[in-house]
Amino acid sequence: MDIIDVKNLTKRYPGRTAVSDISFRVAQGEIVGFLGPNGAGKTTTMRILAGFLPATGGDVKIGGRDVSRHSLEVRRHIGYLPESCPLYPEMRVSEYLRYRACLKGLPRRRRKERVPKVLEMCGLLDVKRRVIGHLSKGYRQRVGLADALVHDPDLLILDEPTIGLDPNQIREIRNLIRDLSGRHTILLSTHILPEVEATCERVLILHQGKIVASDTPENLAGIVSGSIRVVTEIKGLQSEIVETLSALPGVNNVSDRLEGAWVKLEVSGKLGTDLRQNIFQTVVDNKWTLRELRTISTTLEDVFGALTTGDKGGRS
Amino acid sequence: MFVQLTLWRRELAAYFLSPMAYVAAIFFLLITGFNFYLVVGIFSSYEYTIPDVMEQLLSSPLFFWPTFLLIVPVLTMRTFAEEKNSGTIETLMTAPVTERAVVLAKFSAALAMFLCMWLPTAAYPFLVETFSEEVAPLDIWPVISGYLGILLLGMFYLSVGVLCSALTGSQVVAAIATYAVTGILFFGGLVHTHVAADLIREISLYISSFEHQQRFVRGIIDSRPIVFYASGTVLMLFSTIRFLEGRRG
Repeated sequence: MDIIDVKNLTKRYPGRTAVSDISFRVAQGEIVGFLGPNGAGKTTTMRILAGFLPATGGDVKIGGRDVSRHSLEVRRHIGYLPESCPLYPEMRVSEYLRYRACLKGLPRRRRKERVPKVLEMCGLLDVKRRVIGHLSKGYRQRVGLADALVHDPDLLILDEPTIGLDPNQIREIRNLIRDLSGRHTILLSTHILPEVEATCERVLILHQGKIVASDTPENLAGIVSGSIRVVTEIKGLQSEIVETLSALPGVNNVSDRLEGAWVKLEVSGKLGTDLRQNIFQTVVDNKWTLRELRTISTTLEDVFGALTTGDKGGRS
Repeated sequence: MFVQLTLWRRELAAYFLSPMAYVAAIFFLLITGFNFYLVVGIFSSYEYTIPDVMEQLLSSPLFFWPTFLLIVPVLTMRTFAEEKNSGTIETLMTAPVTERAVVLAKFSAALAMFLCMWLPTAAYPFLVETFSEEVAPLDIWPVISGYLGILLLGMFYLSVGVLCSALTGSQVVAAIATYAVTGILFFGGLVHTHVAADLIREISLYISSFEHQQRFVRGIIDSRPIVFYASGTVLMLFSTIRFLEGRRG
């Protein structure tokens, strides 16, 4: 069953269209990454999903219920962590989580069980009596996450959950998100690419208010590259090497650069062929010396760059 | 109901967890205390009664109104503006709570704080009775109706403040707007003393908080100001709720 069903969602602000006619679905249990440059419409879309902003047009259903018509009921099933993670600085951590659990309508017994649980899950046991305003950014982010989790929602909407954190904290949050993946559906936004590759099963790339790609990180990489690239360093006569390698079957293009006695080459070929074996054989046959031979895989970073700055984007 | 209580407790706690409420309360008590000292000092050289003292303290344009008009924006400016400014409005409004519950919680917490501030001043008539040589015993009813006036006026003025706070994202703007609107309401009610035109006189007299409060302090409980302030409060709170709902669509 689809837990999120967005059809032709449009959001216009005076003089600006933030989200234009996007449609997507997220199935129960999926972890979906929302990717896009700043101002692509990620936050706007998430705010609409969370019931904070009204849509200008289109249908947004969560768990089969319309977000604007059954707002209260929908909000009961969503855990939402807004961008920049706003909290009440004067409250204490556990006090804040108890308050939030009350607001979300958890009965006393559930509160007694859930609050310590999320404190533990998010690694907040050490700071539970501290005043939120005195916590570091990393801890505050965890308090926000604990708040989103406290009522054990079906759907988690996390807007930039790792922004402003150091690499260790990012890894912790990432692990936490992965641990949650079994029981919760997660929609998270970020512009940190390795994060999506590490945590998400599916990526939606948003650019200028439109979805420009939606697929698994691996498939997306294939779509964009369309070719395979091999980097190699060979010692020998430069012109001869270039000429020989260019003649190899499956090779489209060879670019070369001299680095001391070594010729550094980037060979690109048709997708699906492995050029490395042929290159190695050629080197052996010509009695050249080889010190590097590897393929460059297309990363999500390339995909992202290609989709959000190239022709598809318009403004770059 | 349970959620309502949770929200209300949090709002009230927010007053007591911030230094602002203590500063405001201390200044309020200093000013009202000083006013009390002045009024009693002035009256001590004349023949006076306790109702005279209370009339000055609870309705005079010098000893009552400046404090009253100043305290309202101080209490209401943070209600929504602070949440908007810090972004917590987003976590608040995406929790399963209705706009009505949030507005009522914020309003009733401000009202509770407002009443807490006025409560100590209720000791003044008893102080005068205990320490003065006046023979007439204290008549409690005008004092009660005077405080009923403060409650009604407070409700309406605070609801104006809550609306102003919801309309802006800045506490300073909210405070100034509240002060301006309540000031216009108050001074609009004084226009009738200077204007000859019948219609304006009528309107001015009808909305004159100054006149209303003076009558309350004298023990005259009229249904017209009660209806005026009760319906005014409802209108302001309803507008606030509609404004917030409008953002959600």
